[in-house]
Amino acid sequence: MNTTNDNNFEQCLKCSVCTVYCPVLEVNPLYPGPKQAGPDGERLRLKGGAFYDEALKYCLNCKRCEVACPSGVKIGDIIQLAKIKYSKKKPGLRENMLANTDFMGSLATKMAPVVNLSVGLKPVKLAMDALFKIDAHRTFPSYASQTFESWFKKNAADKQDAFPHHITFFHGCYINYNYPQLGRDMVKVLNALGYGVHLMKNEKCCGVALMSNGLVEKAKRQAEGNIENIRHSVKDEHREVIGASSTCVFTMRDEYPHVLGVDNADVRDSISIATRFIYRLLDEGKAQLKFREDYKAKIAYHTPCHMEKLGWGIYSTLLLKMIPGVELTILESRCCGIGGTYGFKKENYATSQAIGAPLFRQIDNSGADFVATDCETCKWQIEMSTSLKVKHPISILAEALDEEETKRLNLR
Amino acid sequence: MKFDTIIIGGGLSGLSCALRLQAAGRQCAVISAGQSSLHFSSGSFDLLGLRADKSEVEHPLDEVKHLGEMHPYHKLGDSLSHYAALAESLLPQWGIRVKGTSSQNHYRYTPMGTLRPTWLTFSEMATAESKTRKLGDKVLVANFPGFLDFNTSFVIEALRKQGSQCEVTLLDMESVNRLRVSSTEMRASNIAKVFESPEALRELIERLNHVAAGYDCVVLPAVFGFSDADLAAQIEKEVHTKVAFMPTMPPSVAGIRTQKQLRTQFERMGGTFILGDEVVKADIENGKVKKIYTQNHGDMGFTAENYVLATGHFMSGGLVAGTQSVCEPIFGSDVYYLGNRDEWFDKDFFRSQNYSTFGVQTDSHFKVLFGGQPSANLYAAGSVLCGADAMHELCAAGVSLLTALSVADEILK
Amino acid sequence: MKPIRKENEFDVIIVGGGITGVGTARDCALRGLKVLLLERFDFATGATGRNHGLLHSGARYAVTDAESASECIKENMILRRVAHHCVEEHDGLFISLPEDDINYQKTFVEACLEAGIRADVIDPREARRLEPSVNPTLIGAVRVPDGSIDPFRLSTANVIDAREHGAVVRTYSEVVGLIRDGQRVVGVTVFNHRTHQTENFYAPLTINAGGIWGHGIAAKVGVRVDMFPAKGSLLIFGHRVNNMVLNRCRKPANADILVPGDTVCVIGTTSSRVPFEECDNLSVTADEVDLLLGEGMKLAPALGTTRILRAYAGVRPLVAVDNDPSGRNISRGIVLMDHAARDGVEGFATIAGGKLMTYRLMAEWATDLACRKLGVDKKCVTMTEPLPGSREEEVKSTARHHDMKPHVEATEFYRHGERASMIDARNDLDTSLVCECEGVTVGEINYAVKELHVHSLIDLRKRTRLGMGTCQAEMCACRAAGIMGEALGCEHNAQEDLRSFLNERWKGVRPVAWGDTLRETEYSQWVYNAVCGME
Repeated sequence: MNTTNDNNFEQCLKCSVCTVYCPVLEVNPLYPGPKQAGPDGERLRLKGGAFYDEALKYCLNCKRCEVACPSGVKIGDIIQLAKIKYSKKKPGLRENMLANTDFMGSLATKMAPVVNLSVGLKPVKLAMDALFKIDAHRTFPSYASQTFESWFKKNAADKQDAFPHHITFFHGCYINYNYPQLGRDMVKVLNALGYGVHLMKNEKCCGVALMSNGLVEKAKRQAEGNIENIRHSVKDEHREVIGASSTCVFTMRDEYPHVLGVDNADVRDSISIATRFIYRLLDEGKAQLKFREDYKAKIAYHTPCHMEKLGWGIYSTLLLKMIPGVELTILESRCCGIGGTYGFKKENYATSQAIGAPLFRQIDNSGADFVATDCETCKWQIEMSTSLKVKHPISILAEALDEEETKRLNLR
Repeated sequence: MKFDTIIIGGGLSGLSCALRLQAAGRQCAVISAGQSSLHFSSGSFDLLGLRADKSEVEHPLDEVKHLGEMHPYHKLGDSLSHYAALAESLLPQWGIRVKGTSSQNHYRYTPMGTLRPTWLTFSEMATAESKTRKLGDKVLVANFPGFLDFNTSFVIEALRKQGSQCEVTLLDMESVNRLRVSSTEMRASNIAKVFESPEALRELIERLNHVAAGYDCVVLPAVFGFSDADLAAQIEKEVHTKVAFMPTMPPSVAGIRTQKQLRTQFERMGGTFILGDEVVKADIENGKVKKIYTQNHGDMGFTAENYVLATGHFMSGGLVAGTQSVCEPIFGSDVYYLGNRDEWFDKDFFRSQNYSTFGVQTDSHFKVLFGGQPSANLYAAGSVLCGADAMHELCAAGVSLLTALSVADEILK
Repeated sequence: MKPIRKENEFDVIIVGGGITGVGTARDCALRGLKVLLLERFDFATGATGRNHGLLHSGARYAVTDAESASECIKENMILRRVAHHCVEEHDGLFISLPEDDINYQKTFVEACLEAGIRADVIDPREARRLEPSVNPTLIGAVRVPDGSIDPFRLSTANVIDAREHGAVVRTYSEVVGLIRDGQRVVGVTVFNHRTHQTENFYAPLTINAGGIWGHGIAAKVGVRVDMFPAKGSLLIFGHRVNNMVLNRCRKPANADILVPGDTVCVIGTTSSRVPFEECDNLSVTADEVDLLLGEGMKLAPALGTTRILRAYAGVRPLVAVDNDPSGRNISRGIVLMDHAARDGVEGFATIAGGKLMTYRLMAEWATDLACRKLGVDKKCVTMTEPLPGSREEEVKSTARHHDMKPHVEATEFYRHGERASMIDARNDLDTSLVCECEGVTVGEINYAVKELHVHSLIDLRKRTRLGMGTCQAEMCACRAAGIMGEALGCEHNAQEDLRSFLNERWKGVRPVAWGDTLRETEYSQWVYNAVCGME
């Protein structure tokens, strides 16, 4: 039933289960809903572009419709492809700004203090709101003054070859420009497990923001470049590729072939998220983790939409549960509403916050010390909309890790 | 990943089995390829409602002996009444409030306003003890403008036949009307989400108290209680006229809520529920399942002592029909079906269809057969089993629940 | 022309609401005749609604029947102008596969050009670019001006125009007898299937346009019209696999035309002689399904993995050639019989043979005869006068709701042309979708019930496409039954209508119910049998 072919939309039984779980539909009736936007609309669109509805732009590509569908219909993919094929709206300056995360990032990192100060200023925010329709309620994540890549080159790169095992780390734009600390945590944990960490030769942004902002050709070029590098890592260097962000990983595994038409079949199984990679090492007895006795935390885990779609939330939560001092609550899996750059657009702000409201309530009532999640944009949204801070599971492992003991166990 | 038991299929059958095992201390995982058929619930659980000649069954437990040898109830034999009673006691423990008993069927209302015999009905739904008992002399049928999945003209026709005087009213509420901005989304589940808001609920109750004054009963589509059955109870309490909730065309709000409750209960007990994933491959050695693999987890397989196949009938993908044959796609178990496609169907859409009885063959302990030999550790439960004509015998939920509980006991033995 | 005295007196009575009958009614009405159109059940119930919906270029007949071919291409060009809202102009390919004789291509192209049909030989690679679904092993392709035409819309447009020019239109009105005055037919006796009343109507001329059933109508006055019922079966696939018509470039054979039309595509046909008794109740056999699918996959391999929605069959109303004493030779062309000259029966004529493509020409011939007999001197204008729906390039109406969803608006225009302006779209209730697969709104249903002679869900389906999509009326049947009940009041037995509609859908689904089609069936049967408790 899970055959992904051109006729996949025909597996739809018209049962409307997808509409029950669409977070956008719940708050924004302008969105036609996944059934109409996806399989129903697809049949009509085969007649011609006149049957395309620009309201498909309200889809935030969370893929929860696909998770709910009892018939294996790739509803989200159908909608993404329709947007690419039929939309007449051309990406503007705002879309280019939001989409080109690595270009904006490399510029901003060089001028981090100025950028951070200015994008946080009220007049600047209002100007961005008015000029670019980027909602004034949004705070851009602050930029680090040194990228992860340059830190890595200076401080870590030359030590990695000494480890008995090796992996390639796809750090993504967020770690590189905004939050290098998570990258450093990743290196710490993996090194302790006996794995040398290597960066890709020429990592490009996974392209998710390009895709969602209509810059498909560029996304496709970046995808092809990334897959080539991944292929080199897997086939020639025999290193799996892992990422920290559920969205980057999901994009490279599934959106590349389904939406961009970039074939990754030969390496797809070697692209993984860090928590899955680590869990598997432990599960197969290939490594061990030792935690500090004094680490105590009440954590609420939020399953990002793309983690839900990957079905991999289980790996992050199983790892967190291994930490003796952790009291873990798994929040009911719901979309936080940010949808990558979706929530930054002025016209989506209200929708975005309304979608997230039930999750925010859960978080505020959870009694947790902080939230754990594998997605950087969920982190922004939750920190912006609740009283709690958000940490990546890898950072939590890094904090709770008894580094010396773990190293001793794995580097004997 | 390793579990004691892995249940494939997260509907009524799979989750009931999983809940039972988890409660007995077994670590279970449920793998579900999307949401289940509970979303299309009638609002009731049927045990056995109709005989082959279409006459209604009053005492289902007395009637099962007349069913064919292939019927799953036949395999349960004397323990059938035990499992029926067990299900009745377990459902409330799992947070699912129902009314009714296996010793005697009652009537549920259909979305057409007619009555059908059933076993257990979700607490908020209207029921009747007999076909002659009418809802009231003067009945008001209320609907939301443009909600086409609750067909008031059919409902009034049926209620008038019962001798009630009927009128229709439309509840024109801004909070519900806004769903119509989309040309398709005036659906039961979406209306139910509107009434999650206390303000909308308050307005509805006030409206009802206004329009229903002077009537013996007000009929409403059962679109309340997306996550909490108490919502309907609150309406019943605060509306001064007797309220009768009638099921709508799918999706069923009560069914969605039940699915959610079962899953939440299972997870609360420590069970692992995996949604939106599909088992694509299994390692089987001499009839023993060693490992299964899913779409999402790739080469990282799942292992367990026992496996339960609760993947449903054709509609849910548990069985797959080719042009001349039927298979069970995961394990390739033995399947009962007729070889000639012409024999699968009746010419009349509304009559019993032979394909309904197709399904996986098992031994008397519900162990799946491979080439006629029972598997060492693979069981089947629910609609995937052969032998029942769920739609015409009215026995779908009964087969799901009872066989699932029995399989749980077999595994615990 | 005699002055009209009574309500039940007409200039001409036309028997049969197929495309020939409605076309003739329109032509007669346009020429000022007072017309009564009688149809036993609903429009387009027979062969009209049971074919490919192919706008023939004539290429298919070019080699074997030059006369039909040149008629086709002329009518093809006329229909593109006068019925453009019923037509899709996507062209067609005649492809040669490795197993076909490529030399036939030359014969074919020459015959096409001879008949006036554009026929361009194109490179197989170009063919694959133009039509990606085509069998990639093709060795040759010829591009011709084939297209598709929706026979239901075409019939409806003719009915509307006939009515707007004064014709009286009665459906569910079966002619049970012809009234004679000596050797002259002076009227008809009609049984109304809805009211169960019998009525007489009178006219100096009755035109028999009953298609295959015309044989029986003529027999009522002892006139012999020899016909050969030839059954043809077809399959409908779940969506448009191809965007150009695909044909095999060889002598016409079974299952070698794949036509995209609206949301679906259709493969056909088979051909077999059937007895007259079967014409009212045709069914498609498993062997026919296998043959259609097997041959279809040779045109477009993707059909093998595409959901089949249903199977259906129609009867070609083939007429015996009059001057052949054996009665075995069949005329492929149009047959107009003036029974006064042929059989000595005055006031009675039969128009038969022909094909969907030449309906307008058939109507013209029949109307010319009527005008001659009634002494009316009016020229035919149907080759230039657009049908209602094809008169404007857009919907002009201020009464329509400004927030209409683009796909909903586009769908209504697609189906009704500029007449979509008559569909209520004042608020979001009117624009709510009842049939989600085919985009049928509440407003469209109300319009059809009010204006387009709809008395049942099956009629409604033919005017709108309700229930013709992927799910074959899973939810929309029940929804529409409710709306129809309100619109038609107590004359409408909604539950019985719902039952027969679902059974009509089931009849077509049953022969192809495996795979996803069986899953869909089980879901539908669960909804109506188990949940709704319908018996």
